[in-house]
Amino acid sequence: MGDEQAAIQVIDKTIMIELSDKFPDVVSDVDVPSPNRAIARIDPSKVHEIMQFLLDKGFDHLSCISGVDYPPDKMEVVYHVTSYSGPLVITLKASVPRDDPNIDSLCDIYWNANWYERETYELYGIKFNDCPYLKVLLLVEEMEGEWPLRKDYAGYPNPT
Amino acid sequence: MEEGGIKLGEIELEIPPNVSFTTTSAIHDFIKDSPMQKLVNWGRKNSLWFMTHPMGCCGIEQICVGVAHYDTDRFGIIPRASPRQADVMMISGYVTKKYLPALKRVWDQMVEPKWILMMGECAISGGPWWESYSTVINMDEIFPVDIYIPGCPPRPEALLEGFIELQKKIVAQKDRTVIPNPADGEV
Ligand code: SF4
Repeated sequence: MGDEQAAIQVIDKTIMIELSDKFPDVVSDVDVPSPNRAIARIDPSKVHEIMQFLLDKGFDHLSCISGVDYPPDKMEVVYHVTSYSGPLVITLKASVPRDDPNIDSLCDIYWNANWYERETYELYGIKFNDCPYLKVLLLVEEMEGEWPLRKDYAGYPNPT
Repeated sequence: MEEGGIKLGEIELEIPPNVSFTTTSAIHDFIKDSPMQKLVNWGRKNSLWFMTHPMGCCGIEQICVGVAHYDTDRFGIIPRASPRQADVMMISGYVTKKYLPALKRVWDQMVEPKWILMMGECAISGGPWWESYSTVINMDEIFPVDIYIPGCPPRPEALLEGFIELQKKIVAQKDRTVIPNPADGEV
C-alpha cells in the first residue's frame, strides 16, 4: 500500500522537473500543456537511462513507440510513457540522423517494446540497437528495406 | 494413360499402381455441345454454395447473408465452412500482399466448377486503400472474376442480386468458371 501511494504521488508534472534536474544536458524543450500531458526532447544516446529512471519513478506503461520522417536530414522516434497509477502521459521525442537512424532498444526495460520497435523498424527503417529480434512484424518479408512510411517512398500503386 | 507422376497444381504426386487417368476430354467436350449441358448448368446454378470467408468489414455483410432473415436457401445458396465444399468464393474485403498467397491457396483448394464474386470497393479496386503500400489492387488480373458488387459495404440484398446475376450468367454459359481439361495435363 505504501509503495502504491508513493507511486501515485510522483505521477504528476513534477516528474518533468526531476527529469530535467537529473539529465540537465539531455532533456530539453520541456513543456507541460496540461496536467495530463508533458512533452520533452531527449538526446537519443541517453534514452535507455531516461526510460530506466522513469520506470523506477512509477511510469510502468510504455504506451507506444512511433516514428516521424522529416526529410532531408532528420527522423524522430516518439515515445509515449504513462502509468497505471496516474493520469500523466509523457511524450519524449528523440531526433536521429536520417542517413543512419539508430537508437538504443528498450526491450530490457519494457518487455512490450519489442513489437513497437519492430513495427517502427519495418515502416521507417530506424534500427534499434540490441533489439533481440529486429525483423519485419506485419509486412511481407520481401518489403523489408522499402520503409513504406518514409516520405520519399515510391512504391505506392496509385500515387496521387 | 500417363507414366510417372501426376501434377495437381504445384504438387507432384506419384500414381498408385492399378490406377489410371484419362488424358482426353471427350466426355466433357461431348456434353458441352449437347443439350445436356443445359441440365448440368441448371443444377449448378441452383446449388451455389459459398464459402464463409469474411476478409474485411464487408465480411460482416457476408455473414448476414447467411442468416435466416434473407433465406438464401430458396436460391440454393448455402454457406459452407470449408473451401472443399464450396462453389463460390467471395473476395469480401481488402487483400494485403501478405494475405494474397493464402487466398490463392484457398482458391486452389476449391473444386471446379467454381466462381468468384468481388464484394465491395476494396476487392474491386482497392477502395479506401487503393494507394496503400500493402494492398493488392486489380484482383481481377489474378482471379477469374465473374461478378462485381460495388458498395462499401454492399447491402445483403445487393449481394443476393449478385448471386442472381451469376445464376443468369451460368444459364447463359457466359461465366468464367475454369473447367479443367485433362488434355492440358492438369487433372
Ligand atoms: S469495401 Fe468498404 S466495407 Fe468492404 S472491406 Fe472495403 S472498406 Fe470495408
